[in-house]
Amino acid sequence: MDINYVLSVVNSALRSTTPILLAALASAICTRSGVFNVALEGQMLIGSFVGIAVNWVTHSPTLAVLAAIVAGGLVGALVGILQVRYNAADMVVGTSVNLLVGALTAILLFVVFGVKGGFKDPALVPLPKVKLPVISEIPYLSTLFNNLSPLDYLSYVIAIVMYIYLFKTVKGYHLLSVGVKREAAESMGISAVKTRIAAVIASGCLCGYGGVALSMGQVTLFAENMTAGRGFIGMAACNLGKNNPIAIIFASLFFGFSDAFAATTQNTIPSQLTQSVPYIATILALIVFSRKRKKKATKTEESKAEAVS
Amino acid sequence: MTKIKNAALHMFKVLWQPFLAIFLGLIVGAIVILIVGHNPITVYITMFQKSFFTLHYLLQSLTRSVPILVCSLAIVASWRAGYINLGVEGQMTVGSFVGTLVAVYMPGPTFVVIIAAVLCGMMAGAAYSLFAAFIYDKFNVSIVISTLMMNYIATYITTYFITFSLRDTSSVYAIQTKEIAMAMRLPRILPGKPFNLGFFIAIALVILLMFVVSKTKFGYESKMTGLNPVFAQYGGVKKTRVMYSTMALSGAIAACAGMLEIFGIKFRFVESMFTSTGYAWTGLMAALISGLHPIGAGFTSIFLAGMQVGGQNIQLSTGIPVQVATLIQSSIILFVSVQLFANWRKKSKLKAAADSKKAGDE
Repeated sequence: MDINYVLSVVNSALRSTTPILLAALASAICTRSGVFNVALEGQMLIGSFVGIAVNWVTHSPTLAVLAAIVAGGLVGALVGILQVRYNAADMVVGTSVNLLVGALTAILLFVVFGVKGGFKDPALVPLPKVKLPVISEIPYLSTLFNNLSPLDYLSYVIAIVMYIYLFKTVKGYHLLSVGVKREAAESMGISAVKTRIAAVIASGCLCGYGGVALSMGQVTLFAENMTAGRGFIGMAACNLGKNNPIAIIFASLFFGFSDAFAATTQNTIPSQLTQSVPYIATILALIVFSRKRKKKATKTEESKAEAVS
Repeated sequence: MTKIKNAALHMFKVLWQPFLAIFLGLIVGAIVILIVGHNPITVYITMFQKSFFTLHYLLQSLTRSVPILVCSLAIVASWRAGYINLGVEGQMTVGSFVGTLVAVYMPGPTFVVIIAAVLCGMMAGAAYSLFAAFIYDKFNVSIVISTLMMNYIATYITTYFITFSLRDTSSVYAIQTKEIAMAMRLPRILPGKPFNLGFFIAIALVILLMFVVSKTKFGYESKMTGLNPVFAQYGGVKKTRVMYSTMALSGAIAACAGMLEIFGIKFRFVESMFTSTGYAWTGLMAALISGLHPIGAGFTSIFLAGMQVGGQNIQLSTGIPVQVATLIQSSIILFVSVQLFANWRKKSKLKAAADSKKAGDE
């Protein structure tokens, strides 16, 4: 097999990883603070749409990314307030917010662009590509790192920063303590409600970023429900990475590869089959890697795992 | 007499909260319609005229409500027991796909074929849902994630089969299976209208599920598991068995939803027919608005189906996207979920479920 072909698959995998990685990090920060957030999908989708809409109006990718992050954060705030402040059931809020955003983006697509289904236009400005100084001269490495946007590189930085924040700073420790034992944290003067809402808003921002990385990454377009379960795949990646940002990078890369595999093999295998590969891979990965945890878990932890996982 | 009075009072207690939420949801919708650039009042009047207040549209709404209603029952069955099945769409796809194939290809007397098709379909739906239960039980794979992933898998795999080996080649464009025989279709009630026996089967399923959840040991056990898994186990409920039977029931009901649509309206399996229509998700919304009560879910499903039909007619006449209906419906759930008026519904099952979940969480 041609080495350059393999490298281009890896390259495609790196680009598919970004949205999943961001969703997984969003899931991790919520789970760590003790909130089960199922609305990741909706938080991503609003980012995808707002990114394209702002891009269309301002022709500035930077503004588009920032607006997407804010939009994701706003949806996150809605989820956080409902779930944390009003104690609404997490699954109920999550699923209905996902449906709400799906409908809202479809309506806004019609209001802003006057189209239904999807929007694509040559006037949309794609994200600039990063040209690495030395590596782009080396033959094989240049294929590997070809066409990656700043968003792709930044996502790994975010994962590392989140790791440092959670495990090496006092603020991060407070967040973890709220997730582990709410009463104990509150007796230390930490507001569980505020911490949790902040965590959900942060997850919204991360998802908005992931969403815009999807709609302005490999392609520059918006289609209804274009996230296609990536929020949930992110939850799976978070699950595999056991809520640890560094481990999550590797879990997300696995799902990025299954995405890239589906995209590159669709000329040889019928695309109807390859499209299902990322979803099958998600279930298989969860089966293979979570086997040991079930054995370790005691009975009391079992119900906890049920609520969190 | 007092029994009837109590029942009426109970109905009122169950229903008034959703009605308030529906009103607030309609206000959210009105704001969006204003943004789109139309007068919300005239839009709403047209919407309800073209969904409930003319016989033609009423029948259309009732016909549409069949798959939605049955999907909502599938949600009620599983969510009540605390198993968050998001895979109703996949289960109805797989179940009705298998059912249709049996109906199209199995030789034999019509009556036998129908029974075989329905049974095979229900078993396929149940099996698809049981797989999620199995990997949760053995490998602790979250049912939320696995069932959702299986929706996509079901759509793509069935599309693969009907694109190639099982396709009806008489049509060049449409990707679909062959039609089921005339004699197997659900009879229509009025000539020339698609409204058919399926609606009454759906109502029968509501009553059946109501009976199962309120009068049988299984219903009681699954409700206890949903309210407090630890206590239920302490009380001698075999949690694993309850989970398997609940998920199987949910999957079988979901398969019925798909088969009622195919045997009553479409007469064949068409590529991604349940993904594009979103019946499972509308059913989910109906179940959540009604607080996971089978009869409430029945009424809510008919209401939401009417909104979908009305929304489609508005899209035709004014161009407002049909998703306005989904937007209104999902905001209704959010209003229900926050329980702004919690004092009046302390005994609500939803709240109890939320609390027990929180207790497990902390």
